[in-house]
Amino acid sequence: MTVEKQPADRPDAGPRNAPVFVLQVISGAALLVLLGLHMVAQHFVVPTGLRYYEDVIAWLGNPVVIAVEVAFLVFVTYHALVGVRAILFDFGFSDRAERRITLLLWIVGIATIGYGVALFAAILNAA
Amino acid sequence: MASPTVEPRRPTTGPAHRRGLVGWFDPRGRRLGGLAFILNRLTGLGLVLYLYLHLMILSMLIQGPNAWDDFVDIALSPPFLALDVVLLTGMLFHGLNGIRVGLVGLGVVPNRQKALLVAALVIAALVAFVGALRIFAGEQGG
Repeated sequence: MTVEKQPADRPDAGPRNAPVFVLQVISGAALLVLLGLHMVAQHFVVPTGLRYYEDVIAWLGNPVVIAVEVAFLVFVTYHALVGVRAILFDFGFSDRAERRITLLLWIVGIATIGYGVALFAAILNAA
Repeated sequence: MASPTVEPRRPTTGPAHRRGLVGWFDPRGRRLGGLAFILNRLTGLGLVLYLYLHLMILSMLIQGPNAWDDFVDIALSPPFLALDVVLLTGMLFHGLNGIRVGLVGLGVVPNRQKALLVAALVIAALVAFVGALRIFAGEQGG
């Protein structure tokens, strides 16, 4: 039997999931930019490496910062959970179980993004 | 045609599949691409855990300046900075290896997996080293 070879760590299991792989690559590319911005802006240009409370609040007062951080949260959550899905699918669950896993991860992802956005709002309201 | 360093797609039945999670940590019979596969997944899982840990830590900001500023002081201590270096190294490897997987998987450079992996490892090591110096230099500077 000929086993079709796939690139290492390709998160799809065949043609059906090819769009998932492409979206994973796209979200990964976006993360390279957004994570780079996040690391530089949040850590490398800050003399102490981390912002103290007053500086965090002042930083989050900029709407562009909020937009970039929310975009970062959306892409990183999507990319992370698609990666988790690929790992789980390696266990060889049934199609039905895989559909349930996908649904569960969508719920986790939406909850994560919702929590993150609510957290931004709560931090700004608490200030 | 796939490169020899490509990890074969795992069957959904049979001994290879039954290795499951334990199989990931078994380096026997794996080529460089297979080791990159393991490392990519381990760093990926670590980064997923860190994402949720990061969100939990950020919730301390709601408690006000005292809670957050106390945490920042702890986070700037050498043991935590060492963890930052581990995190940075994991992010660098995962990101650079991700570029390799993307380029190979999309067919842009299907036959240069090994060279790309070596390049990713070298760049990750160099940037992590510079990053570590930068992180600890900041700590010494107060």
